[in-house]
Amino acid sequence: MVYADFPYLSAILLSCIAGLLIILFTPEDRRALIKWISAVFSGITLVLAVYLFVAYDKSLGGLQFVEKVPWVESLGITYFNAADGFNLPMLLLTGIVFFTGVLTMWELENRVKEFYAFYFVMVLAVFGLFMSLDLFFIFIWYDVSLFPMYLLIAVWGTTRKEYGAMKLTLYLLAGSALVLPAIVYLFVQSGLNTFDITLLMEAGTFTPYQQKFAFFLFYIGFGILAGIWPFHTWSPVGHVAAPHAVSMVHAGVLMKIGGFAILRVGIFLCPEGWQHWAWLMATLATIGIVYGAFVGLSQKDLKYVIGYSSVSHMGIVGLGLSTVSVDGLNGAVFQMFAHGVMTALFFSAVGYIYDRTHTKVIAELGGLSRIMPVASTYFIVAAMASMGIPCLASFWGELVVFIAAFKTYPLGGALAVCALVVSALFMLRVVQRTFYGPKNDKFAHLADVPFGLGIPRMILLATLLLFGLFPALIFDMIETASIPFFNGLP
Amino acid sequence: MKWFLFYPELYYFAGGMAFVGLSLVKRANPRRDYFTAMVLAALGLLVCLANVHQEGVLFFETYRVDLFSQVFKVMLAMGLFLIICLCSELKAIGEKHHPEFYLLLFVCTLAMMLLVSGAHLLTIYVALELSSYSLYVLVALRKDRRLGLEAGLKYFLVGILVSAVMIFGVALLYSATGVTYVTDMMRALPAALDSPLVVVGLLLTLCGFFFKLAVFPFHFWAPDVYQGAANQATAYIATASKVAAIAILIRMVAVTGDGSVYMAHVLVVLSIVSMTVGNLAAIVQKDLKRLLAYSTVAHAGYVLIGILAMSTFGYSTVIFYAMALLAMKFTAFLVVVKVADDGRNLQLSHLAGLHRRSPLLALALMVAVFSLAGIPPTVGFTGKFLVFAAAMQKGYFTLVLIAMINVVISLYYYLLILKAAYLEAPAEELPPLNISPQIKILAGVLIIVMVVAGIFPTYLIELASAAAAVLQ
Repeated sequence: MVYADFPYLSAILLSCIAGLLIILFTPEDRRALIKWISAVFSGITLVLAVYLFVAYDKSLGGLQFVEKVPWVESLGITYFNAADGFNLPMLLLTGIVFFTGVLTMWELENRVKEFYAFYFVMVLAVFGLFMSLDLFFIFIWYDVSLFPMYLLIAVWGTTRKEYGAMKLTLYLLAGSALVLPAIVYLFVQSGLNTFDITLLMEAGTFTPYQQKFAFFLFYIGFGILAGIWPFHTWSPVGHVAAPHAVSMVHAGVLMKIGGFAILRVGIFLCPEGWQHWAWLMATLATIGIVYGAFVGLSQKDLKYVIGYSSVSHMGIVGLGLSTVSVDGLNGAVFQMFAHGVMTALFFSAVGYIYDRTHTKVIAELGGLSRIMPVASTYFIVAAMASMGIPCLASFWGELVVFIAAFKTYPLGGALAVCALVVSALFMLRVVQRTFYGPKNDKFAHLADVPFGLGIPRMILLATLLLFGLFPALIFDMIETASIPFFNGLP
Repeated sequence: MKWFLFYPELYYFAGGMAFVGLSLVKRANPRRDYFTAMVLAALGLLVCLANVHQEGVLFFETYRVDLFSQVFKVMLAMGLFLIICLCSELKAIGEKHHPEFYLLLFVCTLAMMLLVSGAHLLTIYVALELSSYSLYVLVALRKDRRLGLEAGLKYFLVGILVSAVMIFGVALLYSATGVTYVTDMMRALPAALDSPLVVVGLLLTLCGFFFKLAVFPFHFWAPDVYQGAANQATAYIATASKVAAIAILIRMVAVTGDGSVYMAHVLVVLSIVSMTVGNLAAIVQKDLKRLLAYSTVAHAGYVLIGILAMSTFGYSTVIFYAMALLAMKFTAFLVVVKVADDGRNLQLSHLAGLHRRSPLLALALMVAVFSLAGIPPTVGFTGKFLVFAAAMQKGYFTLVLIAMINVVISLYYYLLILKAAYLEAPAEELPPLNISPQIKILAGVLIIVMVVAGIFPTYLIELASAAAAVLQ
């Protein structure tokens, strides 16, 4: 472990908290000021996240920037943050989506102060979860990231927002209802009186039975958030109802929490449970990939299309994790990163279109590429990433996962690749109906994306391209964690 | 006699007497009564704090002063002080009855202090009855006779039935073991716990406390009484009275040592049914006080989870939970009292537009509701977490799982409260709520306390552990 001379990880959390407090004490009618404050503080977190990503010493590997403070000693709770190859891509992703989300909502006028306050709380928790290595804190951050969702969706959302908000909140907290007993179970069974994941891993005191039992609960509990079939139904409904920035954070980052927590908590602590349940993970993931693709085919709402494509893509993450191989882990983490950026771009692009046209129904749009060519470009690039076109980041994640899957589960891998064709089909269909074809004159007067509003979309697009062209930037990073972890398995 | 051990009780007795005097004054003067009560309650809190570390026994060992009882006395004094903070606009009670209202609050607090220190079955019974009778009258005092009397009568009828059952249980316990002192019971009971007579006697005795805590099947009074009593009286029943019930329940269960399998099973069943019934019934409530009543029933179930672990750690977690309950339930009632400023019963729909009318109260309500639901980083979550950990140590995995499912169910109606406060617009534009600076400070402090105690619980956990350690 390499202890940090400066607590960069806590600095990320602190800048979220500072931003939150300053927003809370700013008068409500100073809307522009609140937006600038949000942009500055989210920008700081992004800079810090990029710095960590660059400054991490790949040749050394392991946990770096470690911060460890005892919290409740009688219960063995530690404030324990560290960066490793698994969570750095996630932190970077969160920074990018956070910052671009703030900019995407630049045109918000309704209850601005409350929106950004809740938004900061949510992102604070997401950052906290990705960097934490203490079970207790992971659970706290997990729950804290969920509760602002209800108000964020129900107040600022659109289609069936109250229903979507309630469904999403209850589903995700039902997941936490499985996770908390499992965490306490492991805590009690270990007999070490600690929630420190590294200590619990090193001790390796859990019997195979305990591992199988706890892993199942972790998998289902966190899996609900990761959108695994058949517990995915909250996700399209919630994403459709949420305001754009919340959809971005939610589909882009929050769903990754599910996948990441399965890795960090489930797989780290219960490797035997992981191997035992791999067949179940593979089955559900394959069904999710195929199902998401086919259901997406019949959707009439732009955001529903993205919602179901998320189910399908998160299935790829699950499939990667289920292969029990280094390639699978690498692919899964890479796919989480790539999918996060891609969906953020999707929702950001749809957000611009919806704010102008006030509709997300595909049939009412049409020929948009001639009205707003730039806005259309952003969506089309995201759609291409979703189809897995080379040169864009998601291609590599999918490729590596499928290679790993073919080795372990030939049938599942084959089915998933076929589903990819279907998902390409539905994306092309959406692109064709929305952006080409006859122009809807009702929208002919609408302006295209101005430069200022284009910034967040450009950042996302550039990220997709950068990691599409240089995937090794992330793969090398993940391997510093995945290879030692895999070699350490019994 | 070491009278200094008895100072808090004497103080509250004197406080009560002061109000007897005030009630004799002919002309009603609510401001005078309010300020007197405020000063007396604040001083009382200081007296209790000064006496925290006293230890000793009084009255032929029927009365025990130890860290456990003193911590609870501080909580009770705090509860009384907080409730009196809400009494500046006591519109639901007739003006000439204000001194009696405060008198009963002081006497009831005194009775509960006697209860948490009781070390003899008779002391416990007498203290319990004294506190119950004060509450019956408090409930019936409401100006709206129809509501108040009905609720008071219901409370009274169920209450005397339960005390009859309880005294029967005490008789059975005595006939089986021949002891009435709690310390003797601690020696005699663990060996005799296999005898059905003892188990039945103990459970029947516990019924009296279950009634106070509103555990199923003794919860039927709760919704009606909560609805019928004046808002401030309801707040008192929901906070201080529950704290006392938790204290005496811990003390009585602790005498069984490691406990018996039968008793643990009964408690498990009661806990599960309380949680489930409370949460399911709360979903359909429209009246906010009724809703909170059912949520109290559910919380009684969570409290039992910690108690049935029957370990020192378990008791300490319940003490922590009692502190959490005091803070979060009180905050919820603070909002009820302040929104229903004319003393009416508050419907869920009356919360509409609260985030515009008073952003601070809306925030306080949100934190309280999340704390009640057990969402981190609030003290309610930490309390639940500790209670669950205690039960898990004894291997109650399924119970914890069921409790967590209940947490999800409860979240539904807690979110409905939030929805009413944050989303719904009132039918007609309502003016901003007129809230005094003191109440604003109080609300702010409560918000901070609930969050900070959730994030940094170390001190309270250590205090609770130390208090629970003296039980063995």
